[in-house]
Amino acid sequence: MTPRQSSGRRLVPAYLATGGRAQPSRNTLDRLTVLISVDMPITSEVRPEEHRILELLQPGALTLAEVAAHLHLPVSVVKVLVADLVDAGRLHARVPIPEAEQFDRQILERVLDGLRSLKS
Amino acid sequence: MTSIPQALLWCLSAGTAAAVVLAALLVRVRKERAGLRARLTAAEEHNSATLHSNTELSARLRATEAEIRHLAEARLPDLTLALAHPHVPVRGLLDKRFGGSGTDEALEAVLTQVGEAITKERTRVDAAAQSTLRGATTTIQALLYQVQTSLQTMQHKYDDPQIAQDLLDADFLNEQALRRVQATGVVCGAWPGLTREDSYLAELVVGATSRLRGYERVQVSNQLRDPVAVVARAVEPIAITVTELLANALHHSHRELPVSVTLQQGSRGASVIIDDYGVGMHDDEIKHAMELLAGGDSLLLTQLGDPPRSGFAAAGQLVRQYGFGVHVEPSPYGGVRAVVYIPGDPLLTVLDAGARPISVMAPMPHRAPGGPRDRAAVPSTMPTGASAPATPAAAMPAPRPAPAEPYAAPAQPAPAAAAPEPQQSHQDQAPAEGELPRRRRRRPQSEPQPESHPDTINLRSPEETGSRWAALQRGTESGRAAAHSEPPRSPEGNAQS
Repeated sequence: MTPRQSSGRRLVPAYLATGGRAQPSRNTLDRLTVLISVDMPITSEVRPEEHRILELLQPGALTLAEVAAHLHLPVSVVKVLVADLVDAGRLHARVPIPEAEQFDRQILERVLDGLRSLKS
Repeated sequence: MTSIPQALLWCLSAGTAAAVVLAALLVRVRKERAGLRARLTAAEEHNSATLHSNTELSARLRATEAEIRHLAEARLPDLTLALAHPHVPVRGLLDKRFGGSGTDEALEAVLTQVGEAITKERTRVDAAAQSTLRGATTTIQALLYQVQTSLQTMQHKYDDPQIAQDLLDADFLNEQALRRVQATGVVCGAWPGLTREDSYLAELVVGATSRLRGYERVQVSNQLRDPVAVVARAVEPIAITVTELLANALHHSHRELPVSVTLQQGSRGASVIIDDYGVGMHDDEIKHAMELLAGGDSLLLTQLGDPPRSGFAAAGQLVRQYGFGVHVEPSPYGGVRAVVYIPGDPLLTVLDAGARPISVMAPMPHRAPGGPRDRAAVPSTMPTGASAPATPAAAMPAPRPAPAEPYAAPAQPAPAAAAPEPQQSHQDQAPAEGELPRRRRRRPQSEPQPESHPDTINLRSPEETGSRWAALQRGTESGRAAAHSEPPRSPEGNAQS
């Protein structure tokens, strides 16, 4: 991912979004976590950057990486923001759909062998 | 042989003649004596007068010497002190009788010469120090910008929370270092060291807060009606000025107390108002600050104290160079209020919010419920006016009431909404509690958006969702049926199922 804006130096640094925190309150979030906004009125205590995440998710779900790209913020910072929003109940986070996993053939064969040996 | 009478006659006549001559001589001698006596008297008088004047002169000489000694021992040190500290008085003549005399003039001339020499030398030394510092800060600043760039790249590269935390910390430290170096450089006459592009005022102020320890105490309240931006050349100078004023506010108030920043739009410019609730400044401190902020031509490093307080001085330099204004006064809250006024004519502009989105960290403008967002103010999104009966085409900038409810309800079929539009309608839906409706401008530009929002929601409404899921289920079932109809490929496959 490229840093924001090809033109010019950033005026607002990323740490300002989280007050310098980079440790999200939950470690379940991933670049591909799908974020869905909860239909909840945005109140004034929502910080501007959180407000914009919620706005961004109004039309539909986006992955965390996409949100980060839209906001021009590092993924690590967006994770913190999203974790806060999920904690506040304003956002649903859904783990990415895992890749279809094949069962380990070796183990299955060994189990089958075991079962057969039990049977006989 | 001559006769006796004849001889006697000769004798007598000779005697008479001698007597006459003698008498004449006597008279003459007497005259001379009187003359001599008179001359003697005159000479004596003259002598005594000379003696007198001699003593007078020597007294005067002593006095003059004393005066010169006074000059060397008292007045010159006074002068050097007075040049450094203007409130120190320079002592006058020791003997008032010299007032107005040539001595006085000569001594004054000495003082003037020495004073000029000292001033000139001080300026020269200060200029040398400034140029040394300027060179150093410019280089360091460039290096710190490079550090900033690489830190930023790394922040985007590494997701690990531990690393990210270190990177954010390092970034913050770097920003603080940059701020110090930059302000010092500006005091020494360097340019701000960076030209930015036109930037939103809100973004600028938030960026300024980020350079300071304790930025979380700064509460920015955005009262701007338009997406006001500062023109490129003034962005960094104003950012430096706001940073220094904020630093002052943060430094002089308790660490639990907030510092309020208000962005206010006037009819001829915009203001950044910084209020702190701290200890405040004395009248003479405020006077001194205003002198520095007035931006005098010559600024000496020696005037800044030790440790140097460069904030107001840097702001003053920038004020002089870029033509915005800074005012400091006692705050009605007890602390200090600093106002940065940015005149609209040369220094402000309004940006196209679509082409140049504002930073996500910038404070949202305080808007009435239903008021259109600034980022909606793109001319291309101007609607045809179907749902804007009350708005004449020419009255685009004219404010009009912005009701929240009517726009949330209608569900006209509209083409697929552009990305920002649902956001705006969402903004419409989100009344900040306790806020009164306010008159807002550019209502028509956001007309179609409220309709598009419910529409997007409706697109995903139960029927369609249901049919989609039904289709998925049908597909899965048919797939399963097909799979079941086929013979098993392997015993393992059977065991699995």
